[in-house]
Amino acid sequence: MEAVKDWLSVRMVAEMPWLWAGLAAYAMATWTALEGIRLRAAGAMPAVTVREGRVLFWLMLGVGLLTVSLAQRWVRIGHGPFVNLFELLVSQLFSLGLVYAVVYWRFPQVRPTAVVVLPILWILGLWVLMLEPEAVPYPPTYYNDWLWAHVGFGKLFLGFALVGTGLAGLILARAHPRLEPWLRRLPPDEVLDNLAWRFMLLAFVFDSLMLIAGAVWAQDAWGRYWSWDALETSSFLTWLALGGALHARLAYRVPLRLGAAFIVTVFVLAFLTYFGTPFYSEAAHKGII
Amino acid sequence: MSLGRRLASLKLTVVGMLLLAVAVGLRYGDPDRVSVWVLVIPMALLALNLLAAIATNPRIHRRGGLLAFHVSLLVLVILAAIGRLTLYEAHVELLEGQAFSVSQVFDVRAGPLHSGELHRVRFVQGPWTVSYSPGLVRGPTRSTVHVPDGRGGWESRVVGDDTPLVLEGYRFYTTFNKGFAPILTWIPDGGGPAYTGAVHMPSYPLFDFRQVNTWTPPGGPELRLWLHVDAGLKGDEAWVLDGRRATARLAVRTPEGRVELEPGESVRLPGGVLRYERLSTWMGYKIFYDPTLRWLFVTSVLGVLGLAAHYWRRFGAGWMAARDPARSGRDWEAGLGEAAAAVRRRS
Ligand code: HEM
Repeated sequence: MEAVKDWLSVRMVAEMPWLWAGLAAYAMATWTALEGIRLRAAGAMPAVTVREGRVLFWLMLGVGLLTVSLAQRWVRIGHGPFVNLFELLVSQLFSLGLVYAVVYWRFPQVRPTAVVVLPILWILGLWVLMLEPEAVPYPPTYYNDWLWAHVGFGKLFLGFALVGTGLAGLILARAHPRLEPWLRRLPPDEVLDNLAWRFMLLAFVFDSLMLIAGAVWAQDAWGRYWSWDALETSSFLTWLALGGALHARLAYRVPLRLGAAFIVTVFVLAFLTYFGTPFYSEAAHKGII
Repeated sequence: MSLGRRLASLKLTVVGMLLLAVAVGLRYGDPDRVSVWVLVIPMALLALNLLAAIATNPRIHRRGGLLAFHVSLLVLVILAAIGRLTLYEAHVELLEGQAFSVSQVFDVRAGPLHSGELHRVRFVQGPWTVSYSPGLVRGPTRSTVHVPDGRGGWESRVVGDDTPLVLEGYRFYTTFNKGFAPILTWIPDGGGPAYTGAVHMPSYPLFDFRQVNTWTPPGGPELRLWLHVDAGLKGDEAWVLDGRRATARLAVRTPEGRVELEPGESVRLPGGVLRYERLSTWMGYKIFYDPTLRWLFVTSVLGVLGLAAHYWRRFGAGWMAARDPARSGRDWEAGLGEAAAAVRRRS
């Protein structure tokens, strides 16, 4: 009981109820998507109507609630969600949800990926529940307009990479005998693979744009456009890994499952660049008196 | 297979990229000891590979957008190399009211082909402020500088943080390195000319507790100086560092002990009289010059636009306007075109 009280006491700020509600909506979307896969596997309904509208509803509701949460926080602390890990996670939960919802709506072929994508969002969701919503000062170099371009392109990059990862995840999951029966009635691996790489190439375009915008910003803020710090090195390796994977597919006959594993690897690298680098790099984005 | 074709092999591309990734990893751990050639060699290999591919592989040279993207990669590498050769980096500390001059720069790092005209840069340092959040976290720096307005007068600009002062292609960035400087006059015994100078104390508030420096006036003894600054610093509240609102007493070691001076006061020392005129401030700048910056930007943007155009032509509008799956009956087929057709043929 005491532990719950403590947990709550540091979280009594305006944005939290909205955040929890948004996560609950994502949980409903996840549950509904799993139910849809079950119904689809059982052949209980015409394939196209298996709960997809409901998944989209919960997803959009979640995005809406997270939007309110972000806005509440912005008003409360006076700056956007760009600085500490709590803010980055909520902001990504919002933008990944939004990109995915739009893709889900516009590209019906990717809808089965919800059972992979939404649980990935849950990693962020559980992580953010463990963090305190503390506010830290806004760094003086963040008033730059290039921040918007850099962050925006980055969100599109990660969003499209997430869709590709969802498709790759289906291919890999289907390789497992226990999961195969659930996924049998989905499009063939070739189709999933083809789609996945389209999204990865799109992700590559936005990854490149993110690096350019980041370099311009770094030149303004730190007086150098590129200096191989931890974040720059990690993001370059992610970009190169994706470029390398695209070329490996051109140069070799890459088996579908190996290709899917490439995609997941690139996503993991991107994920570590976003959320892992701050752990081993203290210097980046910190002010010195 | 001809050498050209072998050099153009996409397998070589993959190998080159792997080597580059390893090189980047090696350099990151130890940039001082791992030679830059570790990076240059895989890059050169990739560049050769790419040139050969552009020359021989129609899959790349027949597609404008893709070609633009790959050529931009090549040009970027070349521009970055030119940038290294023509680069100029240095630091300078300027006293309030002081004009910039090349003679003051230090920590210079210039590429062998650097040919900029730093000596033409003219500006005068004005007052500056730095805001701090509670806990002494540095916020915005606002440094006023006066630059020639081209009509014989001066205009004021405020620079700092992500707004460098750009003159003659040189970019001046404010740094966390800034502080106080007492202005001192040395009047030697025996009627020689008086000498006025400034002593830059260590960065403030970083070295708030150690505002110590030495100064040897012309013909005089080495003086050890302490500055006791009152700038209103309160670590746990928001605060603005503003030299115009700060005061400081100056402590000087004399043969008899220590004396403390207020602005305007003097002390007699062996060989002359030292007068503490007033308190001033200095701002430390990083200077950066790289004539390729604009071209790097243009090249990379054009390259990505090319890639986007390639993407659009390959997957284009048909896919984007995916049809309602309910009508096709087989949801995964909607808008998939060739891929779906291929799968259908096979099954
Ligand atoms: C340096 C030697 C390189 C060579 C010889 C090369 C060659 C090629 C060729 C021939 C293609 C067209 C393949 C096709 O669609 O049939 C291609 C596509 C592509 N290349 Fe490269 N490339 C090189 C470097 C790079 C690098 C460093 C990157 C970025 C990391 C890159 C990114 C791409 C992308 C994104 C595509 C489009 C792939 C697609 O449409 O599926 N390339 N490359």
